[in-house]
Amino acid sequence: MTAYHRGLLHVLAWVCLASSLPASAEHEYHVMVVPQSPVVEIGSNFTATCMLINTSEATADDLYWISSRSVIPKEQYTKISGSAVNVTITITRDTPQWLLCKCRKPSSPYITIHEGKFVHGILLRKGYHPEKPENLSCVAIQEKDLISPNITCVWEPGIYRSQDLKTKYTLCVTLPGETQKVEAKQNNSAQITFQIFPNHVELDFWVEAENMLGKAESEHLIAEADWFVKTNPPSDVKAISEKQFPTSLLIKWIRPIAKEYVTLMYQIRYRSNRSPSWRNVPPVDIAKEIESFRLQELQPDTVYVIQVRCKSAREGYGYWSSWSANATARTPEDIPKSEPDLWRISRNEREVLLVCKDPVLSNGKIRSFNTSVRRGKASSSTTSVNRSDSDGSSSKIVITILGLIDLPKRETVYVEVVAINSVGKSPKARLEIPAHGAAHERSPAEGLKSWSQSGQLWLEWQPPKVTAGGDAVTEYVVEWDDGLQIDWQRERGNTTRTAIRGSLEKFKRYTISVYSLYSGSIGTPVSVEDFLEQGVPSEGPSVKLNGTPGTHEAQLVWKEIPQDKQHGFITNYTIFYSAGTEEHAIPVPNDTYSYPLRSLSSDTKYEAWISASTIRGSVNGTKHSFSTLKYAPGEIEGIVVGVCLGFLFIVLLAVLICIYKRDIIKKNFWPQIPNPGNSSIGTWSPDFPSKADTPKENAPADVSVVEVDLLDRKSVFEEDKACLPLKKDKYLSEEHSSGIGGSSCMSSPRQSVSDSDEGGDSSETTASTVQYSSVVACSGYKGQTPSSLPKTQQPTFFRSESTQPLLDFEENPDIPRQENSRQFGRLPRNPSFRHSPTSEDSSNSADVNQLEMEDRGGMESLSFCPVEEGPQQTIPTEESQSSDWQQGVPVCSYMPQLGGYRPQ
Amino acid sequence: MYFQQSMEPVTTLLSLLLVMAVDSTRSVTLCRNQQCGNFLQQTLKLTRLIHKESVDLIKIYKTTQGDMSELFCKISINNVPDPNISGLDPSERIVSIYSHIQAFLPHFKRVYEQQTDLQLPTNTLMTELTRVSNRSSSLAAMVNCIYQSLFPNMPVPEPAGGPTSLPPSQNIFQQKVYGCVVLKRYKEFLSNAARELRTVKTQVCKKRTQMNVLS
Repeated sequence: MTAYHRGLLHVLAWVCLASSLPASAEHEYHVMVVPQSPVVEIGSNFTATCMLINTSEATADDLYWISSRSVIPKEQYTKISGSAVNVTITITRDTPQWLLCKCRKPSSPYITIHEGKFVHGILLRKGYHPEKPENLSCVAIQEKDLISPNITCVWEPGIYRSQDLKTKYTLCVTLPGETQKVEAKQNNSAQITFQIFPNHVELDFWVEAENMLGKAESEHLIAEADWFVKTNPPSDVKAISEKQFPTSLLIKWIRPIAKEYVTLMYQIRYRSNRSPSWRNVPPVDIAKEIESFRLQELQPDTVYVIQVRCKSAREGYGYWSSWSANATARTPEDIPKSEPDLWRISRNEREVLLVCKDPVLSNGKIRSFNTSVRRGKASSSTTSVNRSDSDGSSSKIVITILGLIDLPKRETVYVEVVAINSVGKSPKARLEIPAHGAAHERSPAEGLKSWSQSGQLWLEWQPPKVTAGGDAVTEYVVEWDDGLQIDWQRERGNTTRTAIRGSLEKFKRYTISVYSLYSGSIGTPVSVEDFLEQGVPSEGPSVKLNGTPGTHEAQLVWKEIPQDKQHGFITNYTIFYSAGTEEHAIPVPNDTYSYPLRSLSSDTKYEAWISASTIRGSVNGTKHSFSTLKYAPGEIEGIVVGVCLGFLFIVLLAVLICIYKRDIIKKNFWPQIPNPGNSSIGTWSPDFPSKADTPKENAPADVSVVEVDLLDRKSVFEEDKACLPLKKDKYLSEEHSSGIGGSSCMSSPRQSVSDSDEGGDSSETTASTVQYSSVVACSGYKGQTPSSLPKTQQPTFFRSESTQPLLDFEENPDIPRQENSRQFGRLPRNPSFRHSPTSEDSSNSADVNQLEMEDRGGMESLSFCPVEEGPQQTIPTEESQSSDWQQGVPVCSYMPQLGGYRPQ
Repeated sequence: MYFQQSMEPVTTLLSLLLVMAVDSTRSVTLCRNQQCGNFLQQTLKLTRLIHKESVDLIKIYKTTQGDMSELFCKISINNVPDPNISGLDPSERIVSIYSHIQAFLPHFKRVYEQQTDLQLPTNTLMTELTRVSNRSSSLAAMVNCIYQSLFPNMPVPEPAGGPTSLPPSQNIFQQKVYGCVVLKRYKEFLSNAARELRTVKTQVCKKRTQMNVLS
């Protein structure tokens, strides 16, 4: 539809609409826009008309257009009458959907009040004209013996640009007598169905694309119905082997459909079962409408797979069918056309293993190898081989061991091998094994390197240096060995780069050697190790301790991972050890198999493991736990020995002391006890006043502390206290000891030590506790040092040398007081208090006490009166006698027996 | 609404013109001007195909008619078109081919109707009858086109002798005999038609090719 027609229709519609409006004079709207709901093509100009209806309130000048809330400029308006105005806009993708016409006249109250009646809008539906479908093609496939009456057509609908407009596609076909149209369910395909497939009838296909903006038609596809046919592949394809033609196979098949329907041409392809790639028979060699073909130039004794397909024989007509099912046949055998691949594997310097592969062109199943070895005198042998039928079809090359031969010294060995099949013998294969050492005269290939690329292991080398007058390399043998199997391949003498054609496995280490061959004579090899592909080791090294761990160190040892589990070159090991959460890692080179861990904590449990790394990754070995020792070996023994030595030293020292100081010890521990029977009372010292007048001026210096027991009323000098703890302990532990005869039934238990702490002064009496004696040092003042005494004044000691037990009042001069005040007997002592020796009270009190005791002693009568349980004994010692007694008055439990022992 | 009502006559008129245009296009489509040889070759191949199918159809027919099928096919009856093609020049012979095809089509229809009572609807015979009948229609159209193509100034041939006369009602035996005769005659006709078309192709198309070369 041209623009002229559209404009004409537009005017026509406007006229019709305008003429129809008076019929609806009561219509609420006074503004009307035409056309209503237009479909507009993007990129075109669109004209709309706005007119005033049934109102004189406004004119065309009051009308204005709005698109997306913006007023369209007046320049785009065309006033066509006093009540109508056109607007022309260019439709773009971004053009708003709504186009409004409004009336604005502020001076008119009616318009202002009834604003809703003076606005009208139309909805623009935008889109594109439908695109012409492209690349229409149709196909009819074979069903059973006929072509299916269903024809499927596909096409390219073009870019679907109209979002608002739906495009309908219709597939049309015309044939003599009828035309069919089918609406497509998809926008790019449809199927049309005939009653029968119209063989040999010309068909005309096309596709119509239609939307609200128009219609587009594809190119017509006009062809005879055969054009669209896709038949089934030929059936019952057979390959027939004929014995007299070892390089040929006859193929037969059955056509899939009668020739009255479709005349067919064929395509044939074949491949040997060892090869994955197909070879096509040239089309010019295949005539039309045939049902057999002879394949030629095939390999004898090879299994071939053949496939056939067909299509309409007319040039450009129809579609190729699928390939037929495989037809398989083996060509007949022929004599071997190439020599066997002879090689040797060195066992040691004196022995080699002769091996060979079947000839490449064996042309049949090899039945035996005839081997001829010449070293001095020739010898020959025949090695029969028993190949299964599957060997021929298998791509795996079989290696035959021909035998082990000894290499004589300084003599070259010549080997010749012939392969024999059921038809005949192959050409000879020759190998010259030089005498030991002679091979080294030929320099090896140089700079051998290997790398992996595209799933193959590649090698590159430089030819060996040709010595003056030396032979050139005729060929190379590339040998690879994985430790279990050896294989090889041959390369031409000018080859410097090749890929290993054998089936190498990933993660396997191969030792690859390149041998130079000089007219069959083997030269010195050059080797390299490599992997087709490296991986992570399948297992890590097992670590263990070498010996026992120490306190701060442990020696880890591990073994190399077996080669078949390394899966790559070990780049390094990493030692991990941890105690608890903290983990340490120590990388070590790949040739390290032991490592001492140091700075370990003693008496700690550690876990250690080794990680082996390749370029592909790492794997951890098994963990090994161990605990460091608490003590180093010998440390305990050292301590024990040291202690023992120390003890021994002490014992020796004690023994020596005992030996050298035995007199003192004896005196201390076993004092000589005088025989009471020999006792007599006498004065063994010069006159010593029982009550010396202590110079007043000496008292402060010599007496510092006086402890007074409330019970015993005793005071002790400060200097005596130094020996108190020992004495006290001793006394307390021997609370009931009573010295000699201390527990006599006749003698009441007595205090061997004074209750008072001040009894320290009586510690000296311990060793010389004499039950039957009481040595009383009744010097004048307690604590008074002898030095302070006038030398002229000799102390006077009274001593009872009698073995007769002392009377009670002798032993316990305070008994009468205890009896009188028994309730005070076991009262705890008052805390001691200190008095300055200069204190008048202390001196006075001491004097008073002494005086009291003297008085009492004189007053109390003699009687046996057991004291309370746990009496304290005073064990006077010689020392006390010798020193303390001289230095001061001991705090004795025995009050001075003034009555009985008063100096006379 | 008023607008739509006012547009209805216009639409009707436009639709009529469109139908006329489409119809004229269709008549053109039916007989596309093709090369003489190709068109005749197609028609010839189709004739052979129908002949092949008619042979198969007769076999199927015999197998579906019971024990006496061979007997049915040996009896000759009248009221079945003659398989021979008449006419002296190619145009007449083409017309004859066309007329024969048109004449056989009602008989095929009658046989189909009769066999519908005798066979199951799914029987292969019915399918093949339909197939041959349909192909024959296409063949008739193609022959017509050949005629128009080769002899554009001559009137379109009409079946000679007016409408085909069909036999009156028959019993089952007569129906079976009738059906076999129709198929056999049609097979013979197709054989003759194929031969005739090959001749026409040789004579007419060669002559036209030479004319085209000379012009």
